[in-house]
Amino acid sequence: MIPTDIFNFDTLVVGGGIAGLQTALDLGDQGYKVAVVEKDASIGGKMIRLSKVFPTLDCASCITTPKMSAVAHHENITLFTYCELNSLDYDGSGEFQGMKALITQKPRYVDPVKCIGCRQCEYVCPVHIPDMEQGGLSATKAISIPFSNAIPQLPIMDIENCMLCGQCEKACPTNAIDYLQKPEEFLIASKTAVVTTGFDLLPVKDNTQYGNGKIPNVIDSLQMERLLAPHGPYNRVLRPSDGMEPDSIAYVQCAGSRDKSMGVSYCSRVCCMYAIKQAMLLSGSLPLADITIYYMDIRAFGKGYEQFYQNAKAMGIEFIKAKVARIDRGENGSAQVRYELQDGSGTATANHDLVVLSMGMVPGWNPEQPVCPVSKDTDQFITSIKPKISPVLTDMDGLFVAGAAAGPKDIVDTITESGSAAMEAAKFMSKSLMEN
Amino acid sequence: MSPQAKKEQNKILILATETCAYPGADSVGQAHSTYPANTYILRVRAPVLFPESFYIDCFKKGISGIIVMSCGEECPYEGAYKALAKRLDSVYKKMKKMEIDIKRLRLTAICTVCNRAFLNEVKQMDQLIREIGPPQLMV
Amino acid sequence: MSEKNQNVGVYICYCGGNISDHVDVEEVRNRVEKMPGVALARTEMFMCSDPGQEMIIEDLKSGKIDRVVVASCAPSLHETTFRDAINRAGSNPFIYEHANIREQVSWVHHGDTATDKASVLIASATAKAKQLKPLDPIRVEAKKHTTIIGGGIAGIKAALDIAQTGIDVTLVEKSPILGGQLNNLDRLAPSGEKASEVLQELLDQVLNHKGITIHTDCKIQDVTGYVGNFSLDIVTKSDNKKLTIDTGAIVMATGSVSYMPFEGEYGFGRHEQVITLKDLIPILKENKSAGSVLKVNGKTIKNMVMIHCVGSRQIPGIHQPKENGQLNEYCSRTCCAAMLNVSNQIRENFPETGIYEMYRDIRTYGRGQEELYNQASKNKVIFMRYEADAQPEIIPSPKPDYPLQVKIKDSLTFNEEMEIPADLVVLATGIEPDDVSGLASMLKLPIGTDKFLLEVHPKLRPVEFPITGVFLAGTCQAPMDTGEACNAAGAAAVKASALLSKGYIELDPFVAEVDTDKCQGHGACVEACLKEGALELIEVNIEGKIHKKARVTAALCLGCGACAAVCPEKAIDINGWALKQYEDMVDAIVSDGFTV
Ligand SMILES: Cc1cc2nc3c(=O)[nH]c(=O)nc-3n(C[C@H](O)[C@H](O)[C@H](O)COP(=O)(O)OP(=O)(O)OC[C@H]3O[C@@H](n4cnc5c(N)ncnc54)[C@H](O)[C@@H]3O)c2cc1C
Repeated sequence: MIPTDIFNFDTLVVGGGIAGLQTALDLGDQGYKVAVVEKDASIGGKMIRLSKVFPTLDCASCITTPKMSAVAHHENITLFTYCELNSLDYDGSGEFQGMKALITQKPRYVDPVKCIGCRQCEYVCPVHIPDMEQGGLSATKAISIPFSNAIPQLPIMDIENCMLCGQCEKACPTNAIDYLQKPEEFLIASKTAVVTTGFDLLPVKDNTQYGNGKIPNVIDSLQMERLLAPHGPYNRVLRPSDGMEPDSIAYVQCAGSRDKSMGVSYCSRVCCMYAIKQAMLLSGSLPLADITIYYMDIRAFGKGYEQFYQNAKAMGIEFIKAKVARIDRGENGSAQVRYELQDGSGTATANHDLVVLSMGMVPGWNPEQPVCPVSKDTDQFITSIKPKISPVLTDMDGLFVAGAAAGPKDIVDTITESGSAAMEAAKFMSKSLMEN
Repeated sequence: MSPQAKKEQNKILILATETCAYPGADSVGQAHSTYPANTYILRVRAPVLFPESFYIDCFKKGISGIIVMSCGEECPYEGAYKALAKRLDSVYKKMKKMEIDIKRLRLTAICTVCNRAFLNEVKQMDQLIREIGPPQLMV
Repeated sequence: MSEKNQNVGVYICYCGGNISDHVDVEEVRNRVEKMPGVALARTEMFMCSDPGQEMIIEDLKSGKIDRVVVASCAPSLHETTFRDAINRAGSNPFIYEHANIREQVSWVHHGDTATDKASVLIASATAKAKQLKPLDPIRVEAKKHTTIIGGGIAGIKAALDIAQTGIDVTLVEKSPILGGQLNNLDRLAPSGEKASEVLQELLDQVLNHKGITIHTDCKIQDVTGYVGNFSLDIVTKSDNKKLTIDTGAIVMATGSVSYMPFEGEYGFGRHEQVITLKDLIPILKENKSAGSVLKVNGKTIKNMVMIHCVGSRQIPGIHQPKENGQLNEYCSRTCCAAMLNVSNQIRENFPETGIYEMYRDIRTYGRGQEELYNQASKNKVIFMRYEADAQPEIIPSPKPDYPLQVKIKDSLTFNEEMEIPADLVVLATGIEPDDVSGLASMLKLPIGTDKFLLEVHPKLRPVEFPITGVFLAGTCQAPMDTGEACNAAGAAAVKASALLSKGYIELDPFVAEVDTDKCQGHGACVEACLKEGALELIEVNIEGKIHKKARVTAALCLGCGACAAVCPEKAIDINGWALKQYEDMVDAIVSDGFTV
């Protein structure tokens, strides 16, 4: 069945992380009409979930929220959150020639027009579920707004866990709860599209050497971001298994990067810097803790990054050049780290109260045929056909890529690349305007 | 006069920057944390707008404590934070001369999600002014 | 500004219980109604709903009110909603003030105190509303023209991008040719494109674009003006011809130079066999030598040593600063991949030339770069790692077969002291910004401690300067590779295009305004002003007498209010956020809403 709702835009931006937001703003500011389609319930991507960001150490939320709200209030930008992209392709058949995207609005079980974001539903809901927005480290309700500064401020009902008790429906002052909401399909037609679907971390559960996620107190770096965030799960840094304040914390770098057998063969590019950042933040909140970073090479290559690294060394954070071969369950909730010494003199072990895995980064979206015919490189990220003169160009005319969707990247590089993608999209549209 | 409840004697004025501290205060609200109600938050672009006399006048008018919640070094107005810090230095000097406890005026940086820092600042100022009461000044 | 009495309409939201469960909304309305200046006070279940907005529109249209206060949730959520509603009523949206009685009252306080506080906050919002006046956005005419300073790859890319959106561009280059550093390079890491071809692809387009004017061999003598209306005086170096360019925006793309080792640094300048990577690249480009061993200047290279991080990642107390005292503490970002790229080429073409790479950390961070590193290991390049405080030493070789010997403590093999014989030592010299201090002081551009040009904020505004209308791109900002420099150029170009596309620029009306009757020309405001050029003293003739008065250039004013704080006459204030408004708000607060 072909959906009847068709929305027309100049540009479709797929993914509402910092790359998508910046691209949308740079196009919207030039007068282009932009649609942002985001699969999550809120825009903001990984960045809104971070604690503080290197190298300036400013609060991630304070840098992201202004961009999020600028997008939300922009007269030329329309947000489609909690939406699944089913296909994206060039369509030259009808009278409209350009990109066509088939999209499904997933049901929130809440009427977005009626809802005023007051959270009464959330307060009365009796069902507690793990809060994935807090790395699964604390609980939330089966109906809830995903996090405090989410945009839009609309709750989502977890229908799998809901027991249909009806309390939220009773509490809602605007009758916005709708248990019968259905997924809805619609089409977006646009002249250009920008893919900003970002990255995911390799799941720890697939990594046997590091215990498949079954060793307590071995967490991934995004979970550590939540522990360090001002509005994190425990409001301070505690070890998840028993709530103890850790005295010894270790970072395992290149966990699943730069080694095909462990995950991916390429460098994930941001892990050195965020590990150093997290270590610095930890030594602020736990001044007595020992912090060790096991690394192969420290890649502090950006503006101000090397100085940041040298500061961390001066603060007493220990850097050990070694590859961690395996992690085992230690005593009293600790984890035992076995590592190969870099000078070739053998292996050593150490026990740590908390171990953070700097997991490798993989693409956030996998454009398989026939969903979208854009090419992927051997690293599985979208291919850049002109990596030198314009890394945002892909092998599909009118389709551009920016941010971590075009390979792992930090925020600074993501933001400039997004501006560049907006520029290419704008040029493409003004060119076709001139040709017509 | 309508049945206005008892007049709050100890008032705290909070000057909160619109990019950092004001959304920070909203975030405390979203978390439904409570804090003393004798706090009055004014949304400001940059606290560098306020002259020394503004602070002194507030104390004269009966405000017991003032917290300037700025963006700190992340201030969007280049140079404004330094100018503000300098301004407050001279306010402190004036306060000393006038025998106003300088603890009644505090400069701090609050971010958009710094809930705990916000609550702490308010709690400390509230405790202080409950101990020492409103400033006794000739108007 | 409140000559006549304003009629404020106050609208209080129940928020479906969110507010009314803790705040007695009707009681608040009773109190507010009696406050001075309040023409009417209404309540509504949801102020943000259509009926709520209609209520405001009706009251404005009927002339009952001319100022609006809505007491509801945080302004971040609905301030724009209500300003839009006022706009729809045909009124000026700036006659609006918001009272935040949800996030900052009902969600944090309970019982009577919540009701009291809500009343006081509304009283204070009303006090401000009475002082509000209609404002219009500031419009500055802008030339649809951009000037790019620097004709390297970033400048060329920015020029092309901007021109293709229909804005005219002038590209100013100090040397006789375009292309910058790319002219010196051969195969680009990691994928081996020829630098000359990459450059040519863009150059062909730039040279053929009608909207782009190019001036090479030029010097910039002066820059004046502000956003939308800059003027640059340039002069050609060879024939001293002068030219003025009127332009709406400026992009700095002045690029970088290679670090020049000092005499004796790793034997540089003392042994002719010690060269920089920059020297080696053209040698390899020209090198047609057949056979399985590399020859440089006729000499066979059996063994060569490549030393990383020369003039980069320098540490105070360990490295020796240059004469000017400068230490380059940053990483130059591009040298690791460039070195490995060259090593691979040599090992693949001249398998009998052995290569040792001496490094601190291998930083092959980018797409395709780790493969270069893996390839080098496969090509049997030998890697040795040195610590910052134990740098390799280059000495004449005691053995007759080799001119030089490199001593290194290799931390990859038990920290053993090793002696490597070498025919050639190649230094990976870092990137240093080109000296643009003259231009920077003309344009008032900030320079960081690393001597690179400094952006406003690396994440919020990475390609902008605090001077509105001036942008930056490429390696004048920090070390970058070609692709990264082109991305930065695109980002700067998109900002310039958005700024100039309409031919005028609309700025927030929240800027300083001088009451010229009150102004005595003290100049305290000019001194306090944080933005060069935003405030100045001018002389005006009033009835035959010359008076000094402050004048605001709205296009430059940040609206921070630093000026308002210091004026002894209170003759200058910020539109929309005036000091006077705050004073009235405080009065309302101290009197618990019963100001006269
Ligand atoms: C632990 C950790 C700490 C970090 N710390 C820092 C730091 O301090 N400083 C720094 O500069 N960088 C840091 N980074 C890197 C930073 O997170 C990235 O640079 C940045 O988030 C990339 O932004 P993006 O928009 O490209 O991707 P993302 O943030 O991943 O956003 C992509 C968005 O697209 C959406 N999406 C994906 N697929 C689809 C689809 N098919 N349809 C619709 N939407 C889709 C996703 O839901 C997401 O919202 C850190 C990374 C990690 C893992």
